[in-house]
Amino acid sequence: MRIRVAVTVAVLAATAALAGCAGDSSDLPVLPDQPKVAATPPAPGGEQAAPPACDPRASLRPAGALPAPGDMPAGSYMATIQERGRLVLGTSQDTLLFSSRNPFSGRIEGFDVDMGRQIAQAIFGDPDKIQIKVIGYDKRVSSAADGSVDLVADTMTANCARWADVNFSSIYYEAGQKVLVSKNSTAKRIEDLGGKRICSAAGSTSFDNIGKVKAKPVLVAVARPAFGDCLVAFQRNEVEGISTDDTILAGMAAQDPYAKVIGEKFTDEPYAMAMNKSHPEFTRFVNAVLERNRADGTWKKTYEKWLGDFGPAPAPPGARYR
Amino acid sequence: MSTALAARPGVVRRVGRLRHTSPGRLQLLIATLLALGVLTGLLAGVAGSSARAGTSDLGDRAQPLLVEAETIYSSLADADTTAAQAFLAGGLEPSTLTDNYDKDLARATTALTSAARRTAEDGSAADAVRTLSAGVAQYSALVATARANNRQGLPIGASYLSEASRLNRDTLQPQAKQLFTDAQREVEDGYGRAGALGWVALLLLSLLALMVALVLTQRYLSRRTRRTFNIPLVVATVLTALFLIGSFSILLTQQARLDRAANQGSLPVASIAESRILALQARGDEALTLAGRAGSGPYEKDFTVVAERLSVRGGPMVNSYGDLDPALGRMMTRASEGFQQYVTAHRDVRALDDSGDYEGAVKLAIGKQTTGTFEGVRADLDKAYENRKAFFTDEIGAAGNGLGVLTVGGPLLALAVCVLAFLGIRVRLEEYR
Repeated sequence: MRIRVAVTVAVLAATAALAGCAGDSSDLPVLPDQPKVAATPPAPGGEQAAPPACDPRASLRPAGALPAPGDMPAGSYMATIQERGRLVLGTSQDTLLFSSRNPFSGRIEGFDVDMGRQIAQAIFGDPDKIQIKVIGYDKRVSSAADGSVDLVADTMTANCARWADVNFSSIYYEAGQKVLVSKNSTAKRIEDLGGKRICSAAGSTSFDNIGKVKAKPVLVAVARPAFGDCLVAFQRNEVEGISTDDTILAGMAAQDPYAKVIGEKFTDEPYAMAMNKSHPEFTRFVNAVLERNRADGTWKKTYEKWLGDFGPAPAPPGARYR
Repeated sequence: MSTALAARPGVVRRVGRLRHTSPGRLQLLIATLLALGVLTGLLAGVAGSSARAGTSDLGDRAQPLLVEAETIYSSLADADTTAAQAFLAGGLEPSTLTDNYDKDLARATTALTSAARRTAEDGSAADAVRTLSAGVAQYSALVATARANNRQGLPIGASYLSEASRLNRDTLQPQAKQLFTDAQREVEDGYGRAGALGWVALLLLSLLALMVALVLTQRYLSRRTRRTFNIPLVVATVLTALFLIGSFSILLTQQARLDRAANQGSLPVASIAESRILALQARGDEALTLAGRAGSGPYEKDFTVVAERLSVRGGPMVNSYGDLDPALGRMMTRASEGFQQYVTAHRDVRALDDSGDYEGAVKLAIGKQTTGTFEGVRADLDKAYENRKAFFTDEIGAAGNGLGVLTVGGPLLALAVCVLAFLGIRVRLEEYR
């Protein structure tokens, strides 16, 4: 098991530019038990090939009114999906509240899954015509790019590097990174955790962000295949903290009464769904569905269903188009 | 050095001078016969006891170690499969599956305890046992945590389970495989030691030399003394002949039994064990592919490789087992037919999953029929395994027979030959006083 623990120092991320998909920071070589590099490493991501300047929140504008469910325009990618009889959604199965396996029913459910189900509803008129494919965090960009899934809804941050390989929908959720520590920790913010091992999922923007935190000594970023594995590592005292988006952390804290989330958001993580770049009409379609759901209260209902415990639903993130 | 050089010609000359007188020659003959007799007795004792020690080491240590290594390996593989299936079932783990898991773990730990007694203090086998002992405890703790979380409906339980599965597949099973390979090598070495071929060859040579010496002595005496028979020497010759025939037949039987134990016991035991482990691995691959919910991935590739190996003619499962024992042949044929049925069911599972019907795929995979088919294969393999294990035990037991007689009787017979030879020649020697 120790072999899999990729204790990587931030410097590794600098090699991300070598990766095929610029946005998949996880494609960097994951070195087992990499000895800690003593010199202050450049912040991960800091030396990545600069992505083309863009507004990651700006997606493709919807084209007119939504077609009726079950009657997708011929030649469009939605028609291909309709023909196949199911929408293939790529997501994870251990991010409580967003997409996790319900231990009682064995089904995968959450806010992200519902986003996918709403797209299935719009195509088929039936939210159950959906196939859930669990993909690794480091496969989110490549799965959408190679067409092995139609849609990725997996707490995925829209950023310019990823825009180079996939199309994102408009933003459906605004998250921000925080850190989870043990209940008896005296730290108030992530900067107070200098030198501690902080876990995040391999291939997530959160993992890269850990290295950018200005703490002395620098934080030791520990990569695990998924966030559930980070919580396991935390409970087994293999790491002192977990850092990722606030909502994912809230899902973890709900499972562990000896954990708490501290500090303010120190990043902005706008979530969007990722799709293949060669079907812009599908992105426009998804944006139209999101547009409608923001307006008719579906978004608010979905928020309340999964995230209602954290307070009343805010206004849905506004859509921006290019 | 110089004294030794000076002394040597003296001794040689003195012994050489003995040749020229009749009593001297008789004294030389006595010395030769006694030396050969003592040598033969010693060699009989050594060859007998070393073959006996080798045979019992093989039967009581090396082969049981192999069996235990297989038990550890297959129980771990089965525990992993069972845990993954319990997870697939959703809700509270079905009690049959938790029972299976508990039994697997109990079997693995019991086998580990006895394997620890049968391995040398250091070496890779001992390392494997140590890693396994520590790892199994860690594994069962992870699974227990997964279960406790699952009971409370916390999704983190699934993450604990995959951590446990990684530990099992990436660390424990390779160690168990290492132990199995080491045990196989020990069994092969064990056959060499049980044969004790070096000592046996020396024993037979010295027996022949003793025989020739006795015959020549009698020929010399009968020419010299005009007495045709020297009774004690004749008896000694007969005893030596009996000794030669007896030890030859004991050792020949032992070698034949060892050969049978190796070719019809150890060899098939190892390949049936391989079949069983591979079948369990395939079943585990299926469960893990479904649990991962990522469609056909690396585990499915592994399944294809394993299924190929189990279907190939001349492989561990499809082989001429019937030549060894018709009943065994029937068991293995049934097992391989059952496995093909299971592979067909598995293809349906994959087709369902790949076409988007995940729940249907899970239902088919852990449903009664597929489980029944697979358990049938397993039961047949278990029976075949026991069949060969029993054969081995019988043959090794029989191989050990007679070696005790050789160890004790051989030196006694040699002593009797010495005494008789001495008596026989002393009578002639007295005539010169």
